[in-house]
Formats: sequence, C-alpha cells, structure tokens
Amino acid sequence: MSRLPDPIRDGLARGWRVAGGPHGPVPERLSCDVAIVGSGAGAGITAEILTKAGLEVLLIEEGPLRSSSDFNQLESEAYPTLYQESAARKTRDKAITILQGRCVGGSTTVNWTSSFRTPAATLDFWQSRFQLPEFGSDALAPYFEQAQRRLSIGPWQMPPNENNDLLRRGAARLGIATSSIQRNVKGCWNLGSCGMGCPTNAKQSMLVTTIPWALEHGARLLVETRAERFELANGRVTALVCAPASDRAGAKPTRILARHYVLAGGAINSPAVLLRSQAPDPHGRLGKRTFLHPVVLSAAHYDSQVRGWQGAPQSLYSDHFLETQPIDGPIGYKLEAPPVHPVIFASTVTGHGPSHAALLRQFPNTHVLIALMRDGFHEQSPGGSVQLRGDGSPELDYPLNDFVMDGARRALLSMMEIQFAAGARRVMPVHELAQPYGSWDEGRRALAALPMQPLLAKVVSAHVMGGCGVAGEPRLGVIRPDGVHWQLDNLSVHDGSLFPTSVGANPQLSIYGIVNRLAQALARRLGGGEAILA
Amino acid sequence: MRRRSWLKLGIGGAAVLVMGGGALALMEPGLQQGRLGPSGRLVFTHTGRALLDGSLPAQPGQLAVALEGLLDRIDALVAALPSHAQQELSQLLALLASGVGRRALAGLSPDWPAASTAEIQEALQAMRTSSLTLRRQAYQALHDIAGAAYFSDRSTWPLLGYPGPMTI
Repeated sequence: MSRLPDPIRDGLARGWRVAGGPHGPVPERLSCDVAIVGSGAGAGITAEILTKAGLEVLLIEEGPLRSSSDFNQLESEAYPTLYQESAARKTRDKAITILQGRCVGGSTTVNWTSSFRTPAATLDFWQSRFQLPEFGSDALAPYFEQAQRRLSIGPWQMPPNENNDLLRRGAARLGIATSSIQRNVKGCWNLGSCGMGCPTNAKQSMLVTTIPWALEHGARLLVETRAERFELANGRVTALVCAPASDRAGAKPTRILARHYVLAGGAINSPAVLLRSQAPDPHGRLGKRTFLHPVVLSAAHYDSQVRGWQGAPQSLYSDHFLETQPIDGPIGYKLEAPPVHPVIFASTVTGHGPSHAALLRQFPNTHVLIALMRDGFHEQSPGGSVQLRGDGSPELDYPLNDFVMDGARRALLSMMEIQFAAGARRVMPVHELAQPYGSWDEGRRALAALPMQPLLAKVVSAHVMGGCGVAGEPRLGVIRPDGVHWQLDNLSVHDGSLFPTSVGANPQLSIYGIVNRLAQALARRLGGGEAILA
Repeated sequence: MRRRSWLKLGIGGAAVLVMGGGALALMEPGLQQGRLGPSGRLVFTHTGRALLDGSLPAQPGQLAVALEGLLDRIDALVAALPSHAQQELSQLLALLASGVGRRALAGLSPDWPAASTAEIQEALQAMRTSSLTLRRQAYQALHDIAGAAYFSDRSTWPLLGYPGPMTI
C-alpha cells in the first residue's frame, strides 16, 4: 500500500459531502441546481466549471470512490473494482472486449494518460457532415489550452520505455514517422501502472483534480449509486431516479430534482439511461453510431528484455496510417505501444497448453503493438448500437464487418513489418490461427491467408464514443451544438457519447476540451458567473 | 428467461442451441450463489488442466493444489461479474458439464475426469477454430477466465519473469 499522502482520504476527513456505499445512506429525495450523471472526463470538467460559476452541483457515480491508498498496482484488485464489468465488458457477439472505467474519475482514473487534441481532419469531417461550424480547430483551441493547463498536459520528459522505443526504431527503419505523446501527469514516477489507478497521484485524472476541487467548494457526490432513468414531462426532465448499484433487495430509490441534468456516464451507459427513460428519439439516432476504435494487437519476441510493464505506458505513436490516406476511404489506424501486465497478457495471448505456456514464458521479452482503427468516417463503418437487455443493463452490438476487418489485416501487416524492422526474432499477430513467424516474408504470406473474422482475430477497445451524437440539425443527431438534447430542454450530454464519429486519437483531451466549452456555455445559460477551467 | 438469454449467445449455432436450450432447464447451473457449483468446478478443473498445461506444476500433488487455487481465483473473478455475465457463464458451464453438451459443444466423448489432457486439448482446439460462433465464444470464455484467474496470483509470476509491483 502506498504511504504517500492521499488527497481523497484527507478531503473525506475534512467533511466532503459524499454518500452512498460505505459513505452513508443516500436520502430518498435530493435537490440541486445541476445533477451530473457520472464522474469521468466530461462529468469532472462540468462539475468544476459549474461549481466555480456558483451553481449547486450533485454528481452521481455508479462505481466506488477509491484513491491512491487503494491503488496497489495489482490487476486482481483494479479490474473488479475500477472497471465496467470487471474489465471484461463485451460486445453482443463477444468478439470485442471493452476496457472502460467504473469508479470515481471514470476512465480517467485508469487510462494510460495519452493526451491528444481532436485531430483537425476529424473536426473538418464533423463540420461538413454534421453541420457543426462551431467545431473548428481555432474555435476550440482556447478550450483545449485551458484543459491542458488545468491538467498539466505536456510533453513527457523521460526517455520512452523499450516497448515504445521499439515502435520508434522499427518505424524509423521503414521511413515511418513517430511522435511523442503528451501526458497529463505531474511528478510522474514512471511506474507503468496507470491502468490500475495511479498510486502516487501523479496522473492528473478527474479523481485528483476537478472532482476534489468541486467537493472542496461545496459540490456533493453520490457513489455506488446508479442513475436508472429520467422522469420526463412536456419536453423536460422532471426528476432523475437512482438506486444503489449493488441491487440490494428492498433498497429505496432516490429521486433527484434539479434545474438541469447533465448526462456523462460514458458512451455505453449514457445512451442506456436515455433508452431506459424512453427519451424522445424522433430520428432514430439514440444509441446508434457508437464507435470503438477497434484495436488489433501484434506481439513480438526479441533477444533482449522489453519489460513492457515498466515505465510510462504510451509515450510514442505513429499516425502514418491515418495521414497517408483519405479519412473517408479504407479504414486507417493509429499505432501505439500499450502496457502489458500478467492478467491482461495471459488472457489476451491466444492458444492453450504447451504452446501458450511457451509464449507466456517469453513475457519479459515480448513487445506489443496495437493499432486503433478510426471508425465512423465511411458508410461501411456505421459503428454499433446500444441496446437494453431484459434487466435494463446496456449491451453494445458492434458487428465487425469486412470493411473493418480489412483494416485489421492491413494493421496487423504494418505492425509485423515494424516489429521485424526493429529486430524481432518472431512476430505473432494476435489471431487464433496465427503462429509466431520467423521472418517478414513468412509472416506476410501467412497473414495474407488468415481469415479475418470476429472471434478469430482478437479485437479489443478502450475508447467508446458516440451514441448521443452532436449535430447541427435534429435529424442528424441527439444533441445540439451547445450540448443540450434536441428534444429535452433541461438535459445536456457531456461525455464521449457526443462524438459523431470516432475521434481518431485517444479521446480524453477531446472530451476535456469540448466539454469545457459546453460547460461554460451551460453555466451562463443557468445564470451562473463566468467560469473557466484555468 | 433462461432459454432466451442463452439463445442470444449463439448466433450461428442454431443446431447446438435448440438442443442445448431445451435441455438446459434440467441441468445443474454452473454457478450457485455467484460461485462455481459442482458442475462449474468440474468443467474448470479439467479445461483448466488442459488450457494451462505447461504452466501448471507437473507433480500430481502440486498440480492438485494449483488447480484448487485456480478455482478459488475463478470464484473471486466470477463474483465481480455483473449478473447477466454470471448467468451466461452459468449456462455455459451447465451445458459443458452435461454429457450431451460436452459432446455437442466441446466435441469430447469421454467424461471430463476420464479424458486425457491431450484429448481435452484437441477438443478445445476444435472449439477454438470452429465455424460455429457459439463454439468459439465458449472457447474464448474458458481461455480468458482460466488465464486471467491463474496469473492474477503472485505465486505464478516467477513463471512469467514478472517482478510484481514496485515498492512505493
């Protein structure tokens, strides 16, 4: 256990107003100016700005409040407590595993700190296809700048770990450019355990920045409390009904009355709350166009140790395969080098028995690359749709069609070529029918013949976007350019679900920057004072 | 309800499902009170010894202890799953524990305790590469759960050359 100061436990001791779970019972009725569902990237930014503007804010988080004293760098503790569905959330056909946070701070508590502004090509596409003239790079720049200042987003000063540097070296030999990833850290210890919660509070997640600021200045937080549904009347939300997340029998629901409601539960849960509320959806857009940046993986073995668990998880990337082709052509992909730890490694490496055991024994010498496919920019990439199961829980149906799987094959080829160029002894695409291949020539021929099908090629995602898309016209989306729901006047959506396509980059800074602007406008609309992030 | 949610799992596995879904009500659930029941323990003991063969200790006494540890860790993993995932897993384990399900889904003739490790591995390999989505889904569920649970414990890390968390 970390012996470092824990700002969350200190704040609780000072009397922060937190209820739910171990923090005491939630009253049956609560009122506030603004009720915010969620506590991740969009919720945290919104909470700080609205609190600064003098509004009374109440946050409702389904997951627990955990903090640096709890973050033991152990997957066996982190996945069940900090992630949706124990880090094993799946799409409907089980072909994609989704990593998404479920704790105070949301995915920002467990992400790998990669910070990119929304790419200009993506914003251009949104402007022209979704009638969003407001979403220009220049117009958004000041909001990104504020978020970057507030969250200490800047260049990473330490040398990259070997897992990342192999990407740089291999790509360089092929004439492919790589660049540094900016990170939201302050005094980072370079441990590499970002995905299990930062034990040193260096990562400037919502958990240690905006949420504590809001709580310190009077905001309230309900934890282990699930937003079930909105009550609606006459084009407005009249109440938010919540229940304990533990499904305790006999537990009484809580009704929250607010002037305005902000939905920021993440891009599967936010559309699900609206679906459970039977929110108006005259153009059939709700829960549709949900994007994942579907990820394929390539593992390689080197003679020397890589120790992919150690050091800043993602510090270099390549956009070569995004920038050298049109955004609305065959699917492009971003290359990154992820952290690898035992549980995720053992469950992701394909195969069983002695061959699986042999791959696992290579763990310290294993290099992993990932390709994040930029979905949502082509008519054959409509993404997935969020549906409700019989028990009201959400399920994402994301068919991996030939258009996406063609990108998977090209991405696996690109990664293999880079890994051989970096000196790999063997490269193995993460695919049920693949073997470790000893040369680029052998691997290239084998990969060309592999069937690219769901549940054969391993596909994962850590970026869920869309489902409550923003658009300049009601027929094109769920929310207006100012974040307010097209049909519900006192409801806004402030999270990754507002993106009309995928971002084409790790989305946290896109959420921070865009929500920063939406929240400032909302503060003005609600009669609050002027407030900016930093 | 149970039949309906089972059917959702199997796009493309209609033949197996009609039989499996109908008989499922008569089978013992794989999970009981959110933990592995006898049928779940049976399936994970034997798929576990085949999936993790090469990582598990070879000496029989040590192997039995390691498999007990695996089942305990699967219990912990299962307890943290949401109820819809627990239900699906429970049904999968119920089906695999039954003779008819074991033959149809895993393609394994001998009963689990009687089957050799090589026979189970062969059955798993056929599931892994099957043209039926349901069989591939079942394989991946067993593979991912066994791998994640086994290597979540620090006693297994020397095998991986993983030093564990840093002291801070």
